[in-house]
Amino acid sequence: MADKHVIVEQLVKTYPGSGAPSVDHVDFDLEKGEMLALLGPSGCGKTTILRMVAGLITPTSGRIRLDGRDMAEIPVHKRNMGMVFQSYALFPHMSVAENVAFGLEMRGVPKAERAARVERALDLVKLRGYGERRITQLSGGQQQRCAIARSLVIEPQLLLLDEPLSNLDAKLRDEMREEIRDIQARTGVTAIFVTHDQDEALSMADRLAVMSAGRIEQIGTPRQIFDRPATEFVANFIGAGNFLTGTVVEPHQANVPGLGMVVFGLDAPLGKDVRLLVRPHRFTLNGKGENAFEGVVRHLVYRGDTLTLDVDVKDRTFLVDLPTHAGTLPERGDRVTLTVARDDVTVIGTAA
Amino acid sequence: MTTSDRKGNRGILLLLLLPGLLALGVSFVAPLLWLLRASFSTSALGGADGSWTLANYADVVLDPFYWRVAGNTLNYGLTVAAFAVVLSYPIALFLARTTSRWRGVLTALAIAPLLTSGVVRTYGWMVILGDQGVINGTLQALSLIQTPIRLSNNFLGATIAMIEILMPYAILAMLSGFGRLNTQLEEAAAMLGANRLKVFWRIILPLSLPGVITAALLVFVLAISGFVTPRLMGGGRVFVLGTEVFQEATVTLNLPLAAALAMLLLVLFSSVIVIYRRALRALEA
Repeated sequence: MADKHVIVEQLVKTYPGSGAPSVDHVDFDLEKGEMLALLGPSGCGKTTILRMVAGLITPTSGRIRLDGRDMAEIPVHKRNMGMVFQSYALFPHMSVAENVAFGLEMRGVPKAERAARVERALDLVKLRGYGERRITQLSGGQQQRCAIARSLVIEPQLLLLDEPLSNLDAKLRDEMREEIRDIQARTGVTAIFVTHDQDEALSMADRLAVMSAGRIEQIGTPRQIFDRPATEFVANFIGAGNFLTGTVVEPHQANVPGLGMVVFGLDAPLGKDVRLLVRPHRFTLNGKGENAFEGVVRHLVYRGDTLTLDVDVKDRTFLVDLPTHAGTLPERGDRVTLTVARDDVTVIGTAA
Repeated sequence: MTTSDRKGNRGILLLLLLPGLLALGVSFVAPLLWLLRASFSTSALGGADGSWTLANYADVVLDPFYWRVAGNTLNYGLTVAAFAVVLSYPIALFLARTTSRWRGVLTALAIAPLLTSGVVRTYGWMVILGDQGVINGTLQALSLIQTPIRLSNNFLGATIAMIEILMPYAILAMLSGFGRLNTQLEEAAAMLGANRLKVFWRIILPLSLPGVITAALLVFVLAISGFVTPRLMGGGRVFVLGTEVFQEATVTLNLPLAAALAMLLLVLFSSVIVIYRRALRALEA
């Protein structure tokens, strides 16, 4: 634990006058070179955590340690962290190169070395030759790159990114996702980024922390979060899902009222109530699987790669995603049998 | 868009501009032209006759007194502008940056003096700065001084009163010019290693300069055209272009000379505006 690069312990932020804490006893840590995403809906406290780590706001209690050093007494300008703001916060009265050089200037780096390092930083973000431009002459994507160069040129011990892609249009966003990941891998910088976009978190982060109401609901690799959500909130927030409540009557079997027996892969104690999750794309149509549900297609939406169906099974409706290349596709009103393998039925936790 | 469309648009634009242009023409351009004409004529019965002469300008240019007055005016305007801007800057900066819910109230308070006429506020300053005023009275009661310090009926008094009277304008002008200030930029600078002093010098000050320059221009222009405050607080011992124009027009009844002095003031204005435009353009480049 002590050799982790970043350690956040029992971090709390309560704003005066508001009852519930904005950040409520949060713990997490990062290895050197790791990228962690703080993911959650707006108002869940993720940006507050980032700003506390940066030193821009003071925690009510708890500890933040960077390389074993307690950050409590260290002011913002001495923390040696880089930050990419949602609005980029580039200095409008300085050129691109002056923006990037600012941090080096503050550190008293001699002019010649400064110029060389700015050049290298601009190269890294593919802005070579843009040094003399005004900030207002850059496109959104270029401003984003400039902000990244400015925060990396100081060789920060930790890079913080606050919703870095939210101001870009969809196509550019995908491009920058790859690029940020690539830059982070090449520089080996440890990074925390905040996002409300699950795709962004899943595709960019080594691990993600899913947050709700000031608490971390689950922290893990993208795969763990998606396939083994710890809570219903996580299951819901990351991707769509079909939820079932049942009582475990046999090992790996639960009786779901109004549906029947459902077989699942994980261990769950006998006699307990469990919440089960089936992702829409884990269903197959008229195939093999230990769970088979007969139903009627009530509604369908063609999305190119996938066909999304609402299938009425007894008194409930399943959300089903089918790949469109899989033979003949059902029509509205067709009777179909949905099957799902036991390993694709996830146990979320015991139901209340 | 076709040419005829564009022409139609221009017609509508002109129509919309017409009331404003008319009002300006009648209330501003016409009197100014009349004044210009008067400055080239000979005084007659407190007005101007129809003759053409350069005598008024010759009087102004050849009389060292008016050169001194012009110098005084410039000095007065610059002093008042400098102090009003320096004193207003922290207030405006605070009002622009505060997130307090009292912000609206505080802003209203800062500009509330505008609700009282400048004449009334000048009299207020006479009460404060006079020989038997609040300051001299207190100092004498405390036996710190024997004879009153001359704080009024001189350039100092006229300057102090004018600074305070124009501060609300300076604050307003600055607030409108602080649009580029943004706390996130300050945070970004701090993240990059700038302490508070450096954040101020490198970020806040440069970004607030447009507001500062606008405020300085506004205060300067209002100060050099001021008449009431220099007249009342100067006790007849402060000679600036405003007081001299008044003197010539209403006391000496030499309207053409007053017009020529007014034209001189106009030249001063225009040169300052040219400098202002250059400064703003330099800041934006």
